[in-house]
Amino acid sequence: MITIIKYTFKEMLKKRAFLLVSILSLLYLSIYAFGLSRIFEHPSNSIYDIIFQSQILSAGLFFANFIVAFLVLLTSVNAISGEIESGTIYSILSKPIKRYELVLGKFIGLGAMIVIYSSIMFLSVVGLNIFMGSKITFEASNILRGLFFFDLGPIVFLALIIASSSIFSTVNTGIISIMAYGIALVGGVLEQIGAAMQQSQVGAFGLKSGESLINAGILTSLILPTDVIYRKMTAELLTQSSGISFMTQGPFGGMSQPSIYMFIYIFFYVVFLLYYGAKRFSQRDL
Amino acid sequence: MVLETQNLTKQFNGKGGFKEVTLSVEKGQVFGFLGPNGAGKSTFVKTMVGLLHPTSGFAWILGKPIGTVESREKVGFLPENFRYHDWMTGKELLSFHAELYKIKNPGKKIDELLELVKLKGHESKLIKNYSKGMQQRIGIVIALLNDPEIVFLDEPTSALDPVGRIEVREIIKQLKSQGKTVFLNSHLLSEVEMVCDEVAIINHGRIIAEGKLEELLKEHTHVEMIVSDYTSELIEEISRLSKEFQFKEGKLSFKVEDKEKIPIIAKMIIEAGAKLYQLNTQTSSLEDLFINLIGKDEVS
Ligand SMILES: Nc1ncnc2c1ncn2[C@@H]1O[C@H](COP(=O)(O)OP(=O)(O)OP(=O)(O)O)[C@@H](O)[C@H]1O
Ligand SMILES: [Mg+2]
Repeated sequence: MITIIKYTFKEMLKKRAFLLVSILSLLYLSIYAFGLSRIFEHPSNSIYDIIFQSQILSAGLFFANFIVAFLVLLTSVNAISGEIESGTIYSILSKPIKRYELVLGKFIGLGAMIVIYSSIMFLSVVGLNIFMGSKITFEASNILRGLFFFDLGPIVFLALIIASSSIFSTVNTGIISIMAYGIALVGGVLEQIGAAMQQSQVGAFGLKSGESLINAGILTSLILPTDVIYRKMTAELLTQSSGISFMTQGPFGGMSQPSIYMFIYIFFYVVFLLYYGAKRFSQRDL
Repeated sequence: MVLETQNLTKQFNGKGGFKEVTLSVEKGQVFGFLGPNGAGKSTFVKTMVGLLHPTSGFAWILGKPIGTVESREKVGFLPENFRYHDWMTGKELLSFHAELYKIKNPGKKIDELLELVKLKGHESKLIKNYSKGMQQRIGIVIALLNDPEIVFLDEPTSALDPVGRIEVREIIKQLKSQGKTVFLNSHLLSEVEMVCDEVAIINHGRIIAEGKLEELLKEHTHVEMIVSDYTSELIEEISRLSKEFQFKEGKLSFKVEDKEKIPIIAKMIIEAGAKLYQLNTQTSSLEDLFINLIGKDEVS
């Protein structure tokens, strides 16, 4: 399995997709840095400034997260299915290794690369904000917890992609992954709106439809909990350290905090997907 | 037995594949597995190395049930549609496969095998830039990396030039001399005839003939004679010693299972006082045998 991990990692560095996304990320970070430098040019001390700055940070993280998800999809969509479709799998699985080793090895190899990449993106965005003189105070522990959840999302997404790639073709895995990610994103937005409606208490009607939106959001989170994790990340990074309420993060922040049950679910979600993917893969005729 | 199967069946939704194959291959044999396109040869080999799950029946490699990790430990495999990771160099590819086998310090072995398949000097090229034949050659190296006890070669010369084919033949002979077992899928009958000790012929997923190559061929020595001054008893006696006997106006045509019968029959003719003008024998080639057997199978 260590061999698979090692060579998965190596392969990634040689893939064109990786180079492409790296360039894209650099471009994004430069534009973001440029934007920040303009925004922070005239410092003032009003409360609106802090609200505005936290929104800028949220937006930066949101798009960084999006680019990471893009990289996860591009590099992993054919992790297993590609080996089958090209025929390279024959010479690998006729060796004395178990099939689950390939699935798990790919997951760990890609996962390691994604964690490194995702951490660089997160630390760059947060670092740029600090460097440019953001008024939000970050504590190291908040940054670390934020980082953990920022990396967790792509890993959960990776688990879904790997499982799908072990069972279906590359094309179908692409469709499934994009759909799931889209649903999670829309569901997350619905849940936010629902929570906003409940908070603003626009009569009994608002309360009720707010609740149904929240439920719809939770349901989509069960399909792919990336958005929930993302909200947890913003909460960990911003709220507890600076005392800024969720309201200030704008459309990219988090209104409702995911519950602990959600995280227990996420753990089993990843374990189950990998188990199920490996099991179905082991039963396949190649 | 290095390889043994009992009523092994692999079908795809009740179609294709192979049915109820019972085979055994002894150590040190070169075993030829022959059959027309779509007969089930590749399906059989892929089932042996655990890529396909059998529908029913049993099989063992070196005593270990197929599909287990242990059964693949001393096995080498060259797939029919060989494809290797083209982003690696030859050297990287071989190190990767050596690591999959958990071979320690594979450097010497790799060099040796590269020399064997005449790829020395190409090891730092990307696989992407290898020709088809070079890829098949490196596939042979991969199949032999772990010093396997049994090697499955699925049409190992399909992409090779004539010299390459001879080289592969030499490699197979060399493996045999080292006491290794080779399982060779092929439809190049002349090639099989040159290297195989034993063959099985498969058609529509079923084995229609199996045995030592010599014996299968022996059954089919064709004899033609022209005689005169014969008695009907003599002709009767010859017909009893042979198969597919035909006689017309002094012309005899028949097949014998054993070449040794030919001088015996000649002696009988002389001793009976008849005259023997002409005696032609023709050992049928594997090709004749193959066409003959497949033809018969199609009829039935
Ligand atoms: N994955 C599959 N799904 C369905 N049918 C299959 C599959 N693989 C093989 N078959 C069928 O099984 C039969 C045997 O195929 P196989 O590839 O084993 O033939 P072969 O003897 O190797 O032929 P060739 O000489 O052309 O290589 C064919 O009829 C083929 O259509
Ligand atoms: Mg074949």
